[in-house]
Amino acid sequence: MTTTTIPGRAKPATAATPKRRPRRERQGAAWVFLSPWVLGAVVLTLLPMAVSLYLSFTDYDLFNPPRWVGLRNYVQMFTEDPRYWRSVVTTLTYVVIAVPLQLALALVVAIALKSMRRGKAFYRSAFYAPSLLGASMSIALVWRAVFNDGGTVDNLFGTGGWVNQPGWALLAVALLTVWQFGAPMVIFLAGLQQIPGELYEAAAVDGAGRWRQFLSVTVPMLSPVLFFNLVLQTIQAFQVFTPAFALSAGKGGPADSTLVYTLYLYDRGFVASHMGYASAMAWVLLIVIGAVTAVLFRTSRSWVFYASEGDR
Amino acid sequence: MPGHRTKGFCASAAALALCAMLAGCSGSGESVGGGKVVLRYTWWGNPDRAERTEQAVALFEKQHPNIEVQTSFSAYDAYKQKLATQAAGGDAPDVMQLDYRQIDQYASGGVLLDLGKQKAVLRTGEIDAGLLATGKLDGTQYAIPQGRGTETVVYDVKAWKATGVPLPGGSWTWSEWADTMRALAEETGKPGATDPGWSEDSFEVWLRGQGKSLYTEDGGLGFTADDLTRWWTFTDRLRREGVVSPAEQTTQLDGSVENTPLGRGEAMTDANWDAPASGYLALIPSGVALAPMPSGEDGTPGQYFKPSMFLGIGANTAHAKEAARLVDFLVNDPQAANVLGATRGIPVNGSIREEIEPRLKDFDKTIGDYQASLDGTLNDPPQAPPAGDNALQTTFQRDYDQVSYERMSPREAAENYVTEAKAELRS
Repeated sequence: MTTTTIPGRAKPATAATPKRRPRRERQGAAWVFLSPWVLGAVVLTLLPMAVSLYLSFTDYDLFNPPRWVGLRNYVQMFTEDPRYWRSVVTTLTYVVIAVPLQLALALVVAIALKSMRRGKAFYRSAFYAPSLLGASMSIALVWRAVFNDGGTVDNLFGTGGWVNQPGWALLAVALLTVWQFGAPMVIFLAGLQQIPGELYEAAAVDGAGRWRQFLSVTVPMLSPVLFFNLVLQTIQAFQVFTPAFALSAGKGGPADSTLVYTLYLYDRGFVASHMGYASAMAWVLLIVIGAVTAVLFRTSRSWVFYASEGDR
Repeated sequence: MPGHRTKGFCASAAALALCAMLAGCSGSGESVGGGKVVLRYTWWGNPDRAERTEQAVALFEKQHPNIEVQTSFSAYDAYKQKLATQAAGGDAPDVMQLDYRQIDQYASGGVLLDLGKQKAVLRTGEIDAGLLATGKLDGTQYAIPQGRGTETVVYDVKAWKATGVPLPGGSWTWSEWADTMRALAEETGKPGATDPGWSEDSFEVWLRGQGKSLYTEDGGLGFTADDLTRWWTFTDRLRREGVVSPAEQTTQLDGSVENTPLGRGEAMTDANWDAPASGYLALIPSGVALAPMPSGEDGTPGQYFKPSMFLGIGANTAHAKEAARLVDFLVNDPQAANVLGATRGIPVNGSIREEIEPRLKDFDKTIGDYQASLDGTLNDPPQAPPAGDNALQTTFQRDYDQVSYERMSPREAAENYVTEAKAELRS
């Protein structure tokens, strides 16, 4: 897709160079072209966010006008709601399981694909396909059927159906995410192809084996890409919803074992009609994700290596 | 990343296009589409109910060529959530099916139209006054009851007979019920019933059998943690014995008959409302029969006749008169009654009930006979549950999950529930 758009984009620029229009006029055109996006951002993002912030300080049941309650929702969340904390623990557990597993798998497959000579394009697409399909409800429902009691996995291994067992259900949710490792894999693949071959040759001359080469060449050279993937996947993992919703039929069960944060948020908002409380939960999530991302950036200074740093 | 940007752009472009469309529509008045008034009518139910509803709606459209009815239905859980969201967005359907539990919230929230103003079109004269009053809030008629329903123990007749255990009689107590289920489980090696511990409805029947109720008259909780502990101890013990369904099956219940242990061929019986029980016929072609719910140990009946569901009209509808016509047709028209049968419970319109009762066929007749057998033996229905009950139904099932998966004792879970319920009912 990018390859086709680049020449298209370049054309107007070259056509415009000989006779430049006045700056004001060009800006006007820019705003016209930008307007759908700006309108979209304001109407579909900023406005709802402002409303949600307001609602988080109210008691709002969808039917009656919102009633201002100050910080009560936040206080209730942190001090009176055990189910809230259960959802926090469930989400953290999920993040800790799903993100490393997914990135590790993506990296392993990317390395395997890089050294492949034939059929690379085919396998790359094949591994990427789940990422395209995975976010959809239908795949999650298939997953539910596979891991249900009497489902495929149960029939093969006699598991009794993971989605019906509190100890296993969250793993089934995580596996659905891990299975969609295509997006980080493609990014890893691009990163791997940027690493100059000479580095490996030099390492080999110095007597480094495969594993040593991986640790001393691949990992540091790939660290910016690794960091990018880590941040992106962590943010996404905190917001996991679809797989947990579909696998538990919207209930976060069995016994609250897949009640991830966003699912509990949904439950408070749309099942129990406590929109104010749900809004407050959403804002806490936003702040937490922001904080986690900031921490990741802070730690990145000690392990992410940028090639350009050497020049400075 | 470019992918994301494209998506965002498409979304906003689509939104703009939508805005333009809406603006265009509202200018010309939305009823003009082909000169027809378009009504949206939504309900919950099973495929059997869907088929009959489509037939009835087709009849209505034939009688009123200027009205087009768009229908949609889903299982109860999904319906409940979707309707709440639509209502909140001011986009409630023109005609909607409502549950007893929704009346209070929807009426007080201003979602429903005052049906008293549609008297000219919507006749209520032949509806039993007591039943009609269940659709009122503070003296205003917000919804019309559509049928009369009661709970029942549905069972697979053929499979039960094959076990040699005597079939259920006209009444049984909870302990007699438990003994019978135990006997069935011993004969078949499968649970006799769905674990009733998950269901707030079954709990209510058990509670009423002891002269208590779910809610007090002022909308507070009508029972204590001790009561709930005793109920869950009772059901949990049966589950441990294998007499009722295991946790893995119970947790999948969502109000559809397909997901019940009986519907999946994993148990012999299920406790349900009588009208949706028709859905079992598609799953158990050899036939199901209905037995009454168990009573208290001294014979006090816990089940009651309840308005099985209501029809309401959205307060924001642009076509109040046409919507009222549709409601009137569904409730009062003999032709419609013929098609609909007892799929939403036995009709509430007195003359229609008298007219169709002798002509009820197949499963409708089973329901009719079942209700007739209970007539005069049951206690009065409770008043409509308070608004918070809608959320509590789900909470009840979740808290019982903790018991059936042995993560909490019945007492811990019961205390949990009572705390949550009190908070929900206060707010």
